This record gives sequence, C-alpha cells and structure tokens, in this order.
Amino acid sequence: MTDAPTIVASTRWQTIRRETGRALGAALIALAVTCIIVFFTSKAPLEALTTLATAPASRIRTIGLWIDDAAKLTITGLAFSLVFHARQFSMGVQGQVYIGALAATYVVLSPLGVTWAAIPLGMLAAMLAGGLWGFLPGYAKARLGANEIVSSLMLNYIAIELCNFLVRVSLPKPLVGVLTTNDFPDTAVYPALVANTRIDLGLIWALVAVLIVWFALYRTSWGLKLRLVGHNARFAEYSGIRPTTIMVSAMTVSGMLGGLLGSMFVQGQTYGKLTVLFEGNLAFEGILVAIVARARPLAVPFVALAYAYLRQGAQLMNIRTDVPAEVIGIVTALIILLVSSTYSLPGRKVLARLFRREPKPATASATGEV
Amino acid sequence: MALIEAIGVTKVYPGGLVANDAVNLSVEKGEVHAVVGENGAGKSTLMKILFGIEQMNGGTLLLDGKSVAFANPREAIDAGVGMVFQHFSLVPSFAVYENVVMGSEPHRGIRFERDKAISEVRALSEKFRLQVDPLQPTRNLPVGQQQRVEILKALYRNARILILDEPTAVLAPQEVQELFVAIRSLVEQGRTVIFIAHKLPEVLEISDTITVMRQGKTVGQVKTKQITEKELATMMVGREVTLRVDRKATDQSVCVASVEGLRVRNARGTDVVDGLDLKVHAGEIVGLVGVEGNGQAEVLEAIAGLRSTKSGTIKIADEDIGPLTVLERRWRGLASIPEDRLSEGLAPGGSVAENLVATKLADKRYVRRGLLDLNAIKANAQALIQRFSIRVNGPNAPVGTLSGGNMQKVVVARELSEQPRLLLVSQPTRGVDLGSTQFIWRTITDARDQGAAVLMSSADLSELLALSDRLLVIYRGRIVAAFLNRPDLSPETLGTYMLGLSTQPAEDMKMALR
Repeated sequence: MTDAPTIVASTRWQTIRRETGRALGAALIALAVTCIIVFFTSKAPLEALTTLATAPASRIRTIGLWIDDAAKLTITGLAFSLVFHARQFSMGVQGQVYIGALAATYVVLSPLGVTWAAIPLGMLAAMLAGGLWGFLPGYAKARLGANEIVSSLMLNYIAIELCNFLVRVSLPKPLVGVLTTNDFPDTAVYPALVANTRIDLGLIWALVAVLIVWFALYRTSWGLKLRLVGHNARFAEYSGIRPTTIMVSAMTVSGMLGGLLGSMFVQGQTYGKLTVLFEGNLAFEGILVAIVARARPLAVPFVALAYAYLRQGAQLMNIRTDVPAEVIGIVTALIILLVSSTYSLPGRKVLARLFRREPKPATASATGEV
Repeated sequence: MALIEAIGVTKVYPGGLVANDAVNLSVEKGEVHAVVGENGAGKSTLMKILFGIEQMNGGTLLLDGKSVAFANPREAIDAGVGMVFQHFSLVPSFAVYENVVMGSEPHRGIRFERDKAISEVRALSEKFRLQVDPLQPTRNLPVGQQQRVEILKALYRNARILILDEPTAVLAPQEVQELFVAIRSLVEQGRTVIFIAHKLPEVLEISDTITVMRQGKTVGQVKTKQITEKELATMMVGREVTLRVDRKATDQSVCVASVEGLRVRNARGTDVVDGLDLKVHAGEIVGLVGVEGNGQAEVLEAIAGLRSTKSGTIKIADEDIGPLTVLERRWRGLASIPEDRLSEGLAPGGSVAENLVATKLADKRYVRRGLLDLNAIKANAQALIQRFSIRVNGPNAPVGTLSGGNMQKVVVARELSEQPRLLLVSQPTRGVDLGSTQFIWRTITDARDQGAAVLMSSADLSELLALSDRLLVIYRGRIVAAFLNRPDLSPETLGTYMLGLSTQPAEDMKMALR
C-alpha cells in the first residue's frame, strides 16, 4: 500500500484540474457568445467589451465593489452548497437574507445599537432569524412532506414583503415617504478594512465561513452523515443515520448563513441601514456559484471572485456604455447551462470510467482470491 | 401459422442485466397461452416488448407472419395487442364508461356522445361476460371489477391479443373464477389471451399451452394436457449443480433471535407477512426459501428496523428490540447485507472509506466529540480492503466506480468487519461474478462457524441449499414448511411448497422448526 497516498493525491489534483478546466471552458464559451451579441447590439462594441473586461479592476473603488460582491456571493454560495450536499433544493437564501437583515435592524436600532455589542448581537440575531427561516421548509418537508422548493420560495416572498411593510410602516426613518430606515449608529456598522471602499468585516466573515463549512462537511461526523444522506438517503437510514434530522439541520445551518448575509448587507459599508429590496437578487446568484463550484466549499470563494468580477463589469458597462447589464444574464445562463449539463449527470462520468479502464489491483493480496 | 411469434428475442437493460436471452414464444389464434416462471425469469420484460413498452435488442417479432417492432404502446394497440397490468391505470373519479372510452371517445364533431359510449360499453361487457355497471364511479369498485374495466379498455380498442400480467395476484379465489369465465368467453369469440402467472394450479386450469421461462431463457413450450404440476414445477425451478461449502460443526443450542407472530402490512394494505414465527440459533444459517414477493424481504427489513410492524415481537437474546432504532439494534450485534446494494447498501458517490465506516459513526474509534478521525477511518478501510481482497485504487475511490462483485465485497466487509451476533443476508451474490460469490459464501460461513446466527434469503435455491443448516419455506407471509438441510433434500421438494402446492404436516414442520 506504499503507493496509495500518491495515487490519492494525483486523483485529487486531476479532479481539481478537470473541474477548473470545465468551469473555465464554460466561461470562455459564454464570453465568446457575449462578444458576438455585443458586436451586433452596440455602436461602440470594443469600448463596451473593454469596460466589461477591465473596469472592475481599474480603480480602488471598483476593486472594493468587486471584492465586496465576492464576499457576499461566497456566503450565499456556501449556503446553497450545504443544502445541495444533502440533496435538498431549498431556494430560501433570499428570504433568509431579508429576515436576517430585519432581525439585525431591530437589534441595532434598539438602545443596544450604540454599545460595542451592536455588531456581534446584530449578527447573532440575523443568524438566528435566518436559521429559523431555513428550518421551516425543512421541518415542513420532514413532517408534512411539503416540497422544499415551493415552501422556501414562498417564504422568500413573505420575508421580502414583511421587510417592505416594516420599513414603510413601523421602522424609524429620516423623512416621511423614503424607503429606508435611519442610518445605523457607527458602532453597529462593520468597520472598513480598506479606507473608502466597501471592503469591510464581511470579507473576514466570508473567509471564516468557508473554513467552517469545509471543516463541518469533511471533518465532522455531521458532515459525513449529511453527505451520505445526499448520496443515498435509504442507505443512510439503513446505516442508522436519521435522514430527516440531518436534512432539517442542514437547511437550518444554511439558513444561518443566509441570515449572516443579511447582516453583512445592512450592517456593512454598502448600506449601514435597512432599505427595501436591498440585495438586488444577489442571494439567488449563489445557486450559480454553488453549481459551478460543484458545492465544494473551498472552490466557492474562487468562483465567487470570478463571478463577482463579471457582475461588476456588467454593471459598469451598463453605466458607461450603451450595452445593458442584462447582457450578462446571457453569460450567466450559458455558464449554468454548460456546467450543470455535466453536473446533473454524475452517472455518465462513472460509466465512462468503468468502461475506460479496468480497476488496477491495489493490494498485493488482491490476486489471492479464494 | 402462429398469430404472434417471438423468435430469439433478446433484451439487455442499460445496467447490463440480460432480461431476455434469445427467448422464443409462439401463440396460436384463439388459445389461452400461459407464460410461467419465477420472478425475475423475464416474463414481464417479454410482455413489455410485445406491448411496445420496451424495445428488443435482437430477434424478431412476427404478427400474422409479418415482422413487426412496436416503438410504443400506441403502435401495439393499433396492431390489436392489449395489455392489462398488475397495477391499474384508471381515473378513480371517472365513471366506468368514461375510463373505458377515454382516449378513443365516440364523438360527433367536438361533441362527446355520452349515450353512445354508455351503450357501447354495456354491450361489450355483456358480450364478454365482464359484468360491471358502466355508470359507477371507478373508485367505488372492488379490485376484481376494476380489472374488468381494464380488460374492457383493451377490448374497446379492438384488442385481438390480450396480455394479462399476473391477473390473479390481486384477486380473491371467487374473483379468480369469475375472471376465468370471462377469459373462456373471450377465447370462444376468437380472441387470444396471453396469461402471465406463477401459480401453477391456476395455469393448469385456464391455459391451453404453457411456455416456461427461467433466468431470461425459454425452457420449453408444452401443451397443458400433457404435463403435471410436478413436471411443471421442475421445469420452472430447474435443477442445478449445487456447490456445497464446508461448514464446521458448531454449537447450535443458544437461540439468538426469535420472531413471534410477526405481521407486516404494506402500503397497499395487505399483510405481506402474516403471523410468522421463526428462531435462529448461534452457529447456524437459516435459509428463507420462497418465490420473491412472499414476504421474505419484509421479514428481514422488520428485524433490521427498517420497516414498521403491525404486530408481533422480535427478540435478540431475549430482549424485545421492537422499540429500538436501527443503530441500537446494530449495537446489539445485528448486521445486515441488504437485497439491493446500490439502492440500500452503499452510497455510490461516497468513497470506499466513507462507505466502510457509515454504520460506525457513533463508535469512539472513528468519531470523537463529533469530529472524524480520518487516520483511523483510512486505516480501517485499508485493513478491510486487504482482508476482503477488494480491488480498488485506494480508500478514497468512489464506490460507484467499482464492479458489482467488489461493491458487494464493500458491503460484506462493512457488515462482517466485526463478528456479528445476528447476521441478516438478502441476495448476497445477485449480479456478482463467480470468484466473488465463492468469497462471499466463504465469509458468511466463517461468520457462522464463529458463532453468528445467520438468517438468509435468496432467489437462488442452489445458494440456499449450499449454505443453510435449516431451510424454512415462506409462502404468502407464513412459514409453510421447514427442513433440515440434508443431501437428499431436492429443489423440487422445496418447489412444491414454495408454489403453495402442498402444506407440510405439522409434526414434520415442528421437527425442523426447533
């Protein structure tokens, strides 16, 4: 067995290379299509493409926008990765973001908001609220057999409208009619890591979350159980694992990440207050990140970084040229299509491998079969 | 000339399972042709090919002497073939006549001619003696009448050839007689019936010709008048060379597991296990013999804690394990090799190491304070890969990439890594190559020799005869016969009990029931 570790290491390296290649290939094809579309629709196509490709990295301020987006996409990507590992298709991150943001707002606009505890308590409240919002569809599925896709989407609407209603009606605001709350006290807003940018404490939380989710999935028995449930729930049950408990807990933890993202939005440098419809559909884009990263937590931040660049590039292209940001929707759709067409068919890989090569005897005694 | 004829029909499923291997079938016009064989013999696959649900990979299908191939059921229906499945496809809220005409409604323009539909269905049901009220909502009908609606559906579409897939499986005895009356009247009026079954007395009563299938092949075609039940049973079960595995003499005095009055109800509300008693002692292998679907799988699942029971007690060493969870049962020394390794026994996407440790996630050696000990898990995998000669590239290889035999070895290695007290085994060598079969047999007998109580079920009689100390025959959820495994015990003897042809005298049974 002396050669086993090298074999293992080489297959892992191969996997990384293969997956990276596949993701980059998808991105290149999608960008090529984008180029064609831009050439047909824009009066100054080269300028538009240059903006898309270079603008996010051009100034310290835009780099800040890019990194901030990447941090947030990392969190939502992790939240989706977790439920995907348990083979649950909960779509609830968006709702968790709104509920988490609301909970954080109530904490920081209370007398606690002007104390040192505003940031930790705001985050905690956001995570608890998000966790509850993730728990509900899980529990409904386990107990009532409710489809988690439907119930989590419905909970998204409830959270968005609740946030809308409370901002309009009851939360304190600077002027009648504006759709934002009062600015949060300085003690409640994440300090910026780089002055005059949006890069704040949220980046640290994103990196910490990557490590925690990776550790939980691959180094704890909860993570192994979760992955076994995702691979084959009947097998998990036969092994003495309770699939429903694991499923509900995965959705709850994913909800806590969603809640944390809510706190990162409203307590971050970007806003520092609660407004209606603040997340601009970013939460949902975690699906893309999770799919391209194949739900692997350590790959999530890299995918988030690349996707955030595209996202910012598109928005700057929208502002500065005659090409609308919606063009990037095509890029996104193509990447999802290309990557997920292999993602959803893991059996094909297995089959190809079975037919391509005979399993090599790994042990000396393998030949000594009775 | 035969009305419908299959010559050398071969069907290989994508997983590599050869369901039909050069099968021949020749059905004359106006006869009742029975196709018999054990479950998994390939009867249903052949019928699905005749009805266009499955497409053959090789061979020819002749209808009226002309070569045909049905791409879908629609084409088969248009050619005059109709099929009634075991599971009906009726709309419960629709009336009988609506179900019958649905899809081929009589109409004038876009208007549905309700009266015409009702009178046509009534005429059809009288003509073929399939008594059913066309105006009744289908959900109110008993199963036997629902089946008549299904037959009427096929007849309404002018089926010349009617395929009935195990039609008697869901019927009570008097309903069976009524069905037979209808079948006879169908044949009298020139229709042809293909009748799938594995209950021999019924087959002998209703059919004119019988085709016997075994393990995807046709064994032969016989005239019903020229064969006895016993000969038919022999053809079905087959005589195979039995390999016997050497077994040590063991102390079999201690009763490890006992099951009393076990009842298990399935989703359809029938008692698949119906008051079953059995005991398994340390150091013996008890083989559960039966045609598949007679409750053996449910018995094993109930003992393993994967299926809720309706009544009865299950004890391991005098402790009632009824209220215990799967994990608690495992802690008491229960191990189980499930029927279907891919859907129950393994997580194909997980690594070999993860699969080997999946049942031990409460064990301090592998998990402490919720954290995995990756080194211990890897060492465990490496040791088991060595001990069970699993051919794999290393502990981190996904189980799904292994061959069938090696996958099964992973299951066996996990369950037998520690000596179990009670081992449940179901289909241990299905789809496993000969070398691995030998190895798995050896491993199971080793566990027995070291004092494990083994309860085993298998569709392969030769396997049960090779390994078992005692054999219990299960029929319709009850033990109907029990034998000590002696060299003179033949598959034919078991076969008659498996098929419910006879019941063993109580004294004989008591002797082997212990």
